[in-house]
Amino acid sequence: MATFTLKSFTGLRQSSPDQTNFVSHVPSRTQRRNSLRVTAARSSPKLANRNLRVAVIGGGPAGGAAAETLAQGGIETILIERKMDNCKPCGGAIPLCMVGEFNLPLDIIDRRVTKMKMISPSNIAVDIGRTLKEHEYIGMVRREVLDAYLRERAEKSGATVINGLFLKMDLPENWDSPYVLHYTEYDGKTGAAGTKKTMEVDAVIGADGANSRVAKAIDAGDYDYAIAFQERIRIPDEKMTYYEDLAEMYVGDDVSPDFYGWVFPKCDHVAVGTGTVTHKGDIKKFQLATRNRAKDKILGGKIIRVEAHPIPEHPRPRRLSKRVALVGDAAGYVTKCSGEGIYFAAKSGRMCAEAIVEGSQNGKKMIDESDLRKYLEKWDKTYLPTYRVLDVLQKVFYRSNPAREAFVEMCGDEYVQKMTFDSYLYKRVAPGNPLEDLKLAVNTIGSLVRANALRREIEKLSV
Amino acid sequence: MSISMALFSPPISSSLQNPNLIPKIPVSLLSTKRFSLVSVTRATSDNGTTSPAGASASATTVEIPKPVEKSPTESSSASENGAVAADLVAPTVIKYEDAKWVNGTWDLKKFEKDGKMDWDSVIVAEAKRRKFLEDNPETTTNEEPVLFDTSIIPWWAWMKRYHLPEAELLNGRAAMIGFFMAYFVDSLTGVGLVDQMGNFFCKTLLFVSVAGVLFIRKNEDLDKLKALFDETTLYDKQWQAAWKEPESSSTVTSKK
Repeated sequence: MATFTLKSFTGLRQSSPDQTNFVSHVPSRTQRRNSLRVTAARSSPKLANRNLRVAVIGGGPAGGAAAETLAQGGIETILIERKMDNCKPCGGAIPLCMVGEFNLPLDIIDRRVTKMKMISPSNIAVDIGRTLKEHEYIGMVRREVLDAYLRERAEKSGATVINGLFLKMDLPENWDSPYVLHYTEYDGKTGAAGTKKTMEVDAVIGADGANSRVAKAIDAGDYDYAIAFQERIRIPDEKMTYYEDLAEMYVGDDVSPDFYGWVFPKCDHVAVGTGTVTHKGDIKKFQLATRNRAKDKILGGKIIRVEAHPIPEHPRPRRLSKRVALVGDAAGYVTKCSGEGIYFAAKSGRMCAEAIVEGSQNGKKMIDESDLRKYLEKWDKTYLPTYRVLDVLQKVFYRSNPAREAFVEMCGDEYVQKMTFDSYLYKRVAPGNPLEDLKLAVNTIGSLVRANALRREIEKLSV
Repeated sequence: MSISMALFSPPISSSLQNPNLIPKIPVSLLSTKRFSLVSVTRATSDNGTTSPAGASASATTVEIPKPVEKSPTESSSASENGAVAADLVAPTVIKYEDAKWVNGTWDLKKFEKDGKMDWDSVIVAEAKRRKFLEDNPETTTNEEPVLFDTSIIPWWAWMKRYHLPEAELLNGRAAMIGFFMAYFVDSLTGVGLVDQMGNFFCKTLLFVSVAGVLFIRKNEDLDKLKALFDETTLYDKQWQAAWKEPESSSTVTSKK
C-alpha cells in the first residue's frame, strides 16, 4: 500500500494550516472510527471511471441549492423529494440578498413588503421601513413556487430529480464504501404505493427539513423546536389594500409567551399566525388572541387553510458524520427572534455543496469528513455572529410584556431601523456609527427601565 | 361623548357592582326595551366612580347582539375596571376608554395640577391602561392608532418615583451591614475602621457585601442569577456542540 499523508483526524481543534504534511498513524479512538484514517482529501485516490456520486435528500430551498451547485461542479447528483407540489406552511419572507445571490427571477416574488408595523402588548404601533431605499424590500414568495424553481434549475444543471420518500440508510463499513439509501419511488403517481428501491452513493446531504430522517440515521441528536401555527385568511379587497406592502408583527403575552404573532400578506390572502416553544399546548389560544388583535383589519375574512410546522430553535449537536452532512432546517439553521430559515437553508445547501465540489476536485476524488467540516467551519465563521445577536435580542426583548413594550419603543428609532434592515436584507453585521451606538445603548436601557417601572406600577395596582 | 347603544348584563347584581360597565353580550337575548345611554358615564378620573345614570339605566335593557366578529366601538365602559363585572359566559368586548386618552395618546394638558405638570399621574394612568389591556387584549384599528411613547415623561420623574426610594432602601441596608461588620471585625481583631480600610481582605469583604446588597434582594435571586448565567451561555454551547468529540473526555472548545 502506498503511504498516505495523514492529517490528524480529530476535528479541527488540533489541525492547523501548517500541519498539512504531518505524517502519523492516528490510533483508533472509538468503535466508530476506522483504525487507519485517510483524511487528507488531497491524497485521496482518484475515483476510477466515474465521478463522485452525491445524494441530496429533500428538495426544498436547501436541497435545490445544494443539488444545483453540485451538478454545476461536475458531480453526479441525485435529488430525492417526496412531494413535488408541496405547499409548505411558511411565512415566505426572503431577504433582498437572496434574490441577487441565487439569481431568482422577479416573478417568483408575489409581493414586495416595504413597510412593517410592530404592535406592542398595549397596542402601541410603530411603523418601520422609513429608512428603506427605493430598491429595497422583503420578498414574499409562495414556497411551492420557489422550491419548484430551484429544483428545476438543479435539474437543468444536470442533477437527477427523483420523486421518492427516503426511508433509511446503511452506513458504510470502510472509508470508501458507499452509503446505501433505501427509498420508495413514487414516480409522480400520487396515492400509489410506490416501489422500494436502493441506491449507492458516496456522500449524502440531508436537506429533509425539521423532522429529518437523515439526521436520525446519523444520530445527529435532537433540538428544541417551536411550533408555528398559521391560518390563511382571504379578506375583502378593501382590507387587502392595507396589506398591499405591509406586514405586521404583534408581541404580547396573549399572542405568544416567547415569540410573536404575525400578519403577512401573500399573493391574494393574508397569513395570520403565531408560534411558541414553551407553551405548545396553548397554541390555539394564542392564535385566537392574534386574530383578536388584528380583528378590525381582517374582519369579514374567510379562513381558507390551517397549517402548522415545527421550527428548530438551535442546531443539532452533530451536524455531520463521516460523509453525511445536514443543511437547512435539518441542521437547525433557523435564527431566533425572527424565525428566518429560507435564506439560511439555501445558503447552507450551497456552502456544503461547494465544500464537496472543492474537496473532491470537481468530482474526481473521494471526499471525507474533513472536507465537510470545512463547510461547517465556513458557516459558523460567517453566520455565528448573526445568530448570536438574534439570540440576545430574543432573550432580552421577548422575555416579558415590559421588555416587549421597550422593544417596540426602540423600533421607532431611525437608527435602529436602519441597522435592522441593513443586517436583515444583506445579512451582514454592518459597523455602525459608535456615537449612535452609544445613544442607542442609552435609549435601550432607558426604554427597558421605563417599561419595567411601569410594570411595577401595574403590580402595585393589582394588589 | 357618544351615544352608546349599550348591552346590559341581565343580572342586576353585576351592574350594581360597576354601573359604569356595560358589557356586550354577543349571544342572542330577548330585548325588552331599547335604551340609549345618554350620559356616557365616563368618569373624569380613572377610578371608575359610580354614577347614578349608569345605575338606573343598567337594569332593564338588553340589545340584540351583533355577530361575534365585529366589535362596535360604542362602548361606554369607562376604564380598566371593565373586566371585573362581566360574569357572563359569552365573551364580552370591552374597549379601553378614558377622558384623558385622546387620539391614541395621553393629553398632557389634562394632567396639570395647580398649574404644574403632574408626571406621576401620567405614569399611573399609563400603568392602568396597560393593565387593562393585559387583562382584556383588544384589537388594533387603523382609525385609532395608539401612539404614546413613554419617553415623553422626563427622566427625573422616573428617577424620583422609582430609583430614589429603592436607592434609599439599598443604601440603608448597606449602611447597616457596614456598621455591624466594622464593629464585629473590630471586636474580633482589634483593627479599627481606618486600618480595616487599608487591608485587602477587608476591602474584598466590603466589595462583596455591596454587590450582595445590590443583586440579592430576595432569597430567590440567588437561583435567578444562576439561571441567568446558564441562559446566556446556553446558545453558544448548542452551536459548539458540533465541534466537540462525542466520546472524548476532554471538553474541547471550537477554534472560533
